[in-house]
Amino acid sequence: MDAFREIVNVVSVFVLPTMIVGIPLYGLVKRVPVYESFVEGGKEGFGVAVRIIPYIVAILFAIAMFRASGAMEALSSFLSPVLALIGMPAEVLPMAIVRPLTGSGSVAIVADLAERFGTDALATRMAATMFGSTETTFYVIAVYFGAVGVSKTRHAVPAGLLADAAAMLFAVWLCLLFFG
Amino acid sequence: MLNYIWAGLIIVALGFALAADVGDLARDTYRNGQPLPVTLEFADGYRDDAPRQPVTVRIDTAQFRALYGVDGSPAAGYDATFRRTQDGLELRFDDADAALPAPLDVIRDETNPRDQVLQGTLAGVTLARGADGDRAQARLAFPAVRFVKVGAITTAALDFAETAVSIALGLIGILVLFLGLTRIAQDAGIIDALVKVVRPVLGPLFPDIPRDHPAMGMIALNLAANVFGLGNAATPFGIKAMEELQTLNPEPDTATDSMVMLLALNTASVQLIPPITLIAIIGIETNAVYFPIVFTTLGSLVVAVTAAKVLSKRRRYRETNPLRDGRQPTPEV
Repeated sequence: MDAFREIVNVVSVFVLPTMIVGIPLYGLVKRVPVYESFVEGGKEGFGVAVRIIPYIVAILFAIAMFRASGAMEALSSFLSPVLALIGMPAEVLPMAIVRPLTGSGSVAIVADLAERFGTDALATRMAATMFGSTETTFYVIAVYFGAVGVSKTRHAVPAGLLADAAAMLFAVWLCLLFFG
Repeated sequence: MLNYIWAGLIIVALGFALAADVGDLARDTYRNGQPLPVTLEFADGYRDDAPRQPVTVRIDTAQFRALYGVDGSPAAGYDATFRRTQDGLELRFDDADAALPAPLDVIRDETNPRDQVLQGTLAGVTLARGADGDRAQARLAFPAVRFVKVGAITTAALDFAETAVSIALGLIGILVLFLGLTRIAQDAGIIDALVKVVRPVLGPLFPDIPRDHPAMGMIALNLAANVFGLGNAATPFGIKAMEELQTLNPEPDTATDSMVMLLALNTASVQLIPPITLIAIIGIETNAVYFPIVFTTLGSLVVAVTAAKVLSKRRRYRETNPLRDGRQPTPEV
């Protein structure tokens, strides 16, 4: 197990560098005008950041109020037996609840945890794993079924939420395994 | 659903805050209007004319506990400034970081939020001259403290609205970097390359779709774009795939098994590239969580596919299946 962790840790170091170097290289091989493509794609960056502001404000201030009122403490102590059973720190709980509902709101939660506990804290890593490994289930369902006018969604919601619940549990366990 | 959760957070926060504050009022936690007995030590001697003089404040533990009904203990002594103002005598603690026992810490934060030092007015000062410095007994009164939590949630809302914007704007640089990179990958045909990988496994997942139907191609494109983390590119393919699936559906308002499977694959989101916003927030730390993300996404994919398959066999969903009993879509006229 330790050897596996060691290997994964070493390989992990190369994830971002591979993207940053590998993609332009792949583009060159495929004869893409890499510089122009990069600039063209990058132009969206500002728009994306500005577009998510209202979502981030909405989630962040509501959760901050919830925390400041003492309600968060009450909720996590109420749920602490369940949280302890699955090994989830209470700080990660908002992420597990909000993730299927709003993507930009989940961004806000990861950012908030990173600010309060640091980017390498276990809670931040768990929330980041949850964020990175699942989609905003209700958004996807609304967009895809809405586009074709399907209103009877049958087992789409239960299947999506089951997958989300599984992802939350896997995220907790894998983070405990890798960083615990 | 999100509407209720969001509004619920705010309403529950207000409810909790009000309950806590009313409880504080009922218990008179902050003993509003009841002064705290203190002893002031003037090490350099008390002067009648000086507007400000340094003092050491001694708070008797027994008196402190008796007044506030708590178990905490004040420190042995606090450095403070004795001030003579137009409004009377004031005492202002010097050290913002001094450890104050509850509820003095809350009184400090509430009554002087700007400087975060404890401050109050003095009454009943009786001076005793001594050889090693002068001492005075006095009653220290603080401004009234009420509705602490209601103030706290309001401050939290305002502060975090501001934080949210700096977070979002702070993401711009890395967003530009990775959106640029993904555009290169897209222009280089990464989606088409991935379609070749995804295509062979689709047959068993979508038994309702004829092999050469255009829906298959769109589903493959949609999944390939998802695998590469191209959410924005994946959505149009997904919608196109849904439109193609709708042509195979005899009941246009009801989802077919294939539609649910496509949705399940999308919500479980097979991702081999971490989302760009995640990289923007946690930066180089993305490396560390990369493998947990990949394993989690694979695990949840298995659960999603299994759930979509197993649930479709349940009676409730079998009976509502638009393609039950080999029904066919009515050909368009």
